Amino acid sequence: MLKKALLASATLLLAVGVAHSATWTGGDDQPTNPLACDATPPTVAAKPYDGGVPTNPPDRKGKPIKVVDVPKLIGIGYFDATSKGIAEAAKELGNVDAKTDGPTKANIDEQVTFIDNYITSGVDGILFAANDPVAISPVLKKALSKGINVVGYDANSQPDARQWFINQSPFNGIAKSLIDNMAKEAGEDAGVAIVTSTFTTPNQARWIAEMSTYAAKCHPKLQFLETVEAQEDNNLSFSQATTLINKYGDKVKGIFGMTSVATPASAEAVTQAGKCGKIAVIGLATPNAMKPYVAKDCVKSVVLWNPIDLGYAAMEVLRATADGTLKPGSTSVKAGRLGELAVINGSEILLGAPFVFTKDNIDKFNF
Amino acid sequence: MAARQSSARFWSGLISAYGQELVVFGCIVVMFVVVGTYNPRFLNNTNLVTIFSGNAYIAVAAIGMSLVIITGNIDVSVGSLIGVLATVAGTLVVNGAPVWVSWLVPVIVGMAINTVLGLLVAYLRIPAIVASLGMLSILKGGLITATGGKWITGMPEGFFLAQQRWLGVPTPIWFMVILTVLAAYWMRVFPAGRTFYAVGGNAEAARAAGIDPRRTCVFAFTLHGLFAGVAAVLFSTQLQVIQSTVPPNLELTVITASVIGGVSILGGTGTVIGSTLAAILFGCLGSAMVFLNVSAYWLRAVLGLLILATVLADMARRSRYQSAATA
Amino acid sequence: MTKNLLVRHETILAALLALALVVLTTQSSHFFTVENLLNQCRLMAEMGIVGLGMTFIIVTGGIDLSVGSILGLVAILLGVFWKNVGLPLPVAIVLAIASGSLAGLFNGFIITRFNVPPLIATLATLALYRGLAEGISESHSVRGYPDWFYVLGQGDVWGIPTQLWVFLALAIVAIFILGVTPFGRGIYAIGSNAVAARFSGISVKRSLLSIYAASGFLASIAGVIFVSRVSTTRSDMGTGLELDVITAVVLGGTSIFGGRGTIVGTLLGLILMQALKSGLLLAGVKGDGTIMAIGLMLIGSVIVSNLFRMNTDG
Repeated sequence: MLKKALLASATLLLAVGVAHSATWTGGDDQPTNPLACDATPPTVAAKPYDGGVPTNPPDRKGKPIKVVDVPKLIGIGYFDATSKGIAEAAKELGNVDAKTDGPTKANIDEQVTFIDNYITSGVDGILFAANDPVAISPVLKKALSKGINVVGYDANSQPDARQWFINQSPFNGIAKSLIDNMAKEAGEDAGVAIVTSTFTTPNQARWIAEMSTYAAKCHPKLQFLETVEAQEDNNLSFSQATTLINKYGDKVKGIFGMTSVATPASAEAVTQAGKCGKIAVIGLATPNAMKPYVAKDCVKSVVLWNPIDLGYAAMEVLRATADGTLKPGSTSVKAGRLGELAVINGSEILLGAPFVFTKDNIDKFNF
Repeated sequence: MAARQSSARFWSGLISAYGQELVVFGCIVVMFVVVGTYNPRFLNNTNLVTIFSGNAYIAVAAIGMSLVIITGNIDVSVGSLIGVLATVAGTLVVNGAPVWVSWLVPVIVGMAINTVLGLLVAYLRIPAIVASLGMLSILKGGLITATGGKWITGMPEGFFLAQQRWLGVPTPIWFMVILTVLAAYWMRVFPAGRTFYAVGGNAEAARAAGIDPRRTCVFAFTLHGLFAGVAAVLFSTQLQVIQSTVPPNLELTVITASVIGGVSILGGTGTVIGSTLAAILFGCLGSAMVFLNVSAYWLRAVLGLLILATVLADMARRSRYQSAATA
Repeated sequence: MTKNLLVRHETILAALLALALVVLTTQSSHFFTVENLLNQCRLMAEMGIVGLGMTFIIVTGGIDLSVGSILGLVAILLGVFWKNVGLPLPVAIVLAIASGSLAGLFNGFIITRFNVPPLIATLATLALYRGLAEGISESHSVRGYPDWFYVLGQGDVWGIPTQLWVFLALAIVAIFILGVTPFGRGIYAIGSNAVAARFSGISVKRSLLSIYAASGFLASIAGVIFVSRVSTTRSDMGTGLELDVITAVVLGGTSIFGGRGTIVGTLLGLILMQALKSGLLLAGVKGDGTIMAIGLMLIGSVIVSNLFRMNTDG
């Protein structure tokens, strides 16, 4: 009797699910700002500084500092690369003791605890890539109140919870790059599917939202077939991508990989399905994971910024903040071998345009 | 007349012995029919092959887990173990070891680690859930320490066992089917296999019958390590990258597959055929949801409901037999 | 008699805890400060509250794997009731906690009415409740609560973190119920021998229903505190909580087979785990090393406890 009730409710849920069909693409519900369809550079409006301010920080100019880097999670190539960049900058600067520590899965519970404990341990600076922009803010504000310098990279917190944020590339810039490349490779009226991490990951949700408005504006014939979740797991991404290929058959001409895990897995799915060249795979990924597919011409271009540069810049910015050379109101900052980086959006530092790895240059990188 | 009676008894005997397995098999058939009608592409050769071969490693791991559960224990560390063994395989081959070595060593290491676990449970009398909880942490932390969180890439072509095909069928499917049949046969026919049921059903009675429950318990864990090793090899040779983390909740998936397949958590009953069928069912369910256009948001809720429904069906069936038996 | 007291698991644990505290204090001057100790109490309050309920359940020989999912579900419902349905925040909080308790009650119902082993029942509801959280929230977070709400998770009352007061109050109630009342004695009886317990007049079904509902209730409170602490709701809150809590309870001496264990033991186990996490980090050990240390400590403590018990059993 209960059994029947349960089966009935399962079918009901299924019905609800079916009603909620898969036309939804996975973006968040915040306002988007699509760029121009051609190569016009975006107009960047100047904004007053909106970052947080540490309370009575000690004078750290020129002195050795201890820094901890708490990424979203450890154990994936992307944050391994940012960690490398941070270590590289620390070594160059000579007066920084930096280490990377973090949770083994991408959730906020553990990340907040890590940061909280490191605050107690008396670090001078914290670098972070947030799992959730709002959830991480209370503990970061606590760090600021103790005079610790706080700089974010890759995934932002709320602006007043950190001093600066290294923006690898504006969300709409990445969206434009991804969509333009896809339209070029798969055709203007291609059916495309998206493999993302989870619908709650802020960066991914932001990119997808920007992608759909940009596509509607500049490539209106692109059809978004479906978006699937694959967490940050290789196997799951592969099986989701394969399911998409099997489900849509010839209708799917392109797959977007929204994480550095999803893109190689999607490329593998396309390869194993024997559809190299028939389905384009465009996405964010680290070069090492993509080398076999680029070599086989299965994947033509991989869009990413250089995560090593990202980590490097984050470390340089933190040092400049601690030394006082970078302050609210500055318009640019010198970041070691990267040169001068511009300040945008009040308290963000722009790394640069997205970097596109292709067959010609991918072998030069090892991360 | 007598013949019909005895054939009826044969069938009811079969159903009572393999009831849960038949239920699971029935669910698979129903699913194929429903989804295949909605989107015929679900029944495509490529799709089915993908589902079966992609989830085969879970079925293989579930064989080992079923052995452990039948003897009355449990192991929540199998997910971390598979992660560690996959890394062992990848590291060996990337550092120049011959491919067959990098396939064999994880199996041996898996057996070794789980034998330790079995010894902790059997001889030091640490409850299995506690010992495996501790082992889970040790393996998980150890994996990150050893790898520094890095991925392994650049394995040579010959390494990818799971991508090869023998006689047109992908190797994982071969492993899954052959190992399931072998294990099921061994457990039913060989005395060594039947001791698992004896110890799980009633350890004291088993001891009185001359079986050493402790040795059997360790043996079950060692075999479990073997299957985990094979599963790890299938898992790690599927893709070009080996992460230093494992699929989230792998151990729960494996345990659920064993239990839904009919292995009772109380020990003493169930077959590995059931756990393999259940692993297939789950693998298909995930894909089926996508084909049915179920909103991704409600996927897990539906899965949870289905697990619950299957469990309740199983309990209802068991109680019917108990009341029938005592009647 | 004193020998029995000395070799009780709780005493051994207390000694282990003292040893750990001493060692960790020597490794870092930041460890044994009032500020850090209070902060650690704040961080462990949620786990502690859930652990209180888990102790009762494990003493009966059961287990509840769905506590993390209930926490996540309650967090989402809190946001939904407040923002989407538009209820005043206090009403939303009460309703969310009621829903979580109902979820726990449902666990108990499946276990008592259908005789489903608790491991399997809560394994299924773990997936179901998490799925409901994901489905209901559609991955939207609810933020922007009024300031008074944050006092619960981020504020202090008379210098002590608010959630610590809540935890202490609940802990005292739990110690009283389990240790002193007939209901508590009945719980131990069920864990030792459920059939005998029933024949001696204890309503086994009703007791089990109450403790599983209580577990849901406590997980809900922890959920509300968590939302207050991080000022937002997410459907993945609380993932992995159950294993941590079970580790703490078992570390505290509660036998997984049932019949033995105390709230005080659980508290000691919790403090030991939290001390390790904090102290090791301050001593420079990274996250992975801490995870391993806790695993080793878990196995080690059971071995030591078994050894002592084997000696006293003669």
